Amino acid sequence: MKALRFLQTVDRRVIYVLLMLSVTAPFFLSIRLPMMVSPATQAFYNAIDALQPGDFVLFSSDWEAGTRGENGPQTEAALTHLMRKKCRFAIISFQPQGPKLAQDIAERLGKEYDSVEGRDWINWGYKVDAKNYLKGFVRDIPGVVKTNNKTEPLEKFPVMRGIKTASDIKLLVSITPSNVYQTYIQFVAGPLKVPMVVAPTSVMVPEVFNYLDSKQILGMMPGLPGAGEYEGLLKTNTKVTRFANSASFAHVLIIFLIVMGNIAMVMERRQSARSGGQA
Amino acid sequence: MFTPKIGGAWYGYIVGSLLAGIVLLVVLMQLPQRARKYVLWTVTFLGGLFYALEFFLPTHEMLIEGNKADGNFLSPFVVPMTNVLPVISAFAVGLGVINLFQMHTKRVLKWNLDSINSVAFFVAMIAMTVGHLMAKSPHPSPFATSLYKVLFEGALQSLDATMFSIIAFYITSAAYRAFRIRSLEATLLLATAIIVMLGQITLGQLLTHALPEYLHVEVVRNWILTKVNAPATRAISVGLGIGSLAVGLRIWLGLERGSYFDN
Repeated sequence: MKALRFLQTVDRRVIYVLLMLSVTAPFFLSIRLPMMVSPATQAFYNAIDALQPGDFVLFSSDWEAGTRGENGPQTEAALTHLMRKKCRFAIISFQPQGPKLAQDIAERLGKEYDSVEGRDWINWGYKVDAKNYLKGFVRDIPGVVKTNNKTEPLEKFPVMRGIKTASDIKLLVSITPSNVYQTYIQFVAGPLKVPMVVAPTSVMVPEVFNYLDSKQILGMMPGLPGAGEYEGLLKTNTKVTRFANSASFAHVLIIFLIVMGNIAMVMERRQSARSGGQA
Repeated sequence: MFTPKIGGAWYGYIVGSLLAGIVLLVVLMQLPQRARKYVLWTVTFLGGLFYALEFFLPTHEMLIEGNKADGNFLSPFVVPMTNVLPVISAFAVGLGVINLFQMHTKRVLKWNLDSINSVAFFVAMIAMTVGHLMAKSPHPSPFATSLYKVLFEGALQSLDATMFSIIAFYITSAAYRAFRIRSLEATLLLATAIIVMLGQITLGQLLTHALPEYLHVEVVRNWILTKVNAPATRAISVGLGIGSLAVGLRIWLGLERGSYFDN
């Protein structure tokens, strides 16, 4: 009876240690779990793969360091694919830290894939008030954006050649832990029929499924597992797989704890019933 | 409508706009409560009316900012409005900063054990602002670049990530304690949560790999998300949309009660 009670009331500090171990262990173990690509991630991949070299992509990096564990690998995977496809892209963000975080990743990958800032991609920087901004943005991109994140006029950058309105955007990529993607659907993807893909954090996946199901977005890279799947499709070998293993182990721990607590509770109830209700 | 200003004119416009904004705010604060209410209501109503008319009035092909587009007589003003409104947002941020400074100055002057947090606020805010301005100057020194790197990447990003990561520990502990099969509803919720969690991870997908495809955990998870979850969240979204519309109408028509429209 005591053991059953203990299994239902494990001290939270023990749980914290177990979680810490399950998250960190995969970094020291070389485990390669086979990655099964979900239809949502495959659709995201196909949307970028269908682009032609030189096509212009709007890359909305609306995340901050708090969700770097998921949004970082997603950004890396999507930018890798865009650079491999020789697409032009513009980074934009409605979060203050977003442009800098995406810039760092783009600069690092740019060296590997010969993608040069100004020629192949540009960072438009942090913008405020997504709804108001996008309302004007869709009609006149140079008139609303005006400069890059270093306040240099857009006209001087070859990457901006021929880009006037949102209709010139061939794909909209939204990496986000918030509902900014809905504003893009309302003001850009919906009215102007700009194809769009979304990379949300895992906790947002059930919500984003609505838009995937209704075909308002073409594809979705669901959280860290999605980034791992995408890495598998790109056949790159980075640390994302290990990150995904950490997430897997943490999920298994949570499920194990829940199941253990419930089994102990049921067994205790039965024993209690047998012994005439004395717990 | 608005052209970028360069050199001295740029500084002139910045200072002029700032002064005009401060004067406007001072005048607004000096107005009697009732008059201020009507000013705010009028501006809100006109702002809302502009976007409503621009959206609902019939459109025809026209040139907007040199590009062919469908619009009406209000459409050419949408881009200028987009450029003007962030300035108002910037004033709101400025007011927020002033408010924070006032509040924390009072706490520091009263000096007690909690005042150390207010000191931390001043140090962090000033260091971040100075560090950013130095690093973003036309010719930043190596010290400025290093300072910015330490503050932004070393401190802010790490603290942000740490704060967010802590949630994982609470979620694990809370899930263990809360998910108990005490009723039919709780059992359904638990089963659904476990299937969705297993479908989300590779290990879970491996567990059911040998079963027929329709029993794969990721297939069941997708079914739950698209056939059970999606209709429910859509219904909530529709409710939220109608609620937002009602709130929007109340604010637009000045029916909303609160600090801006009432005593």
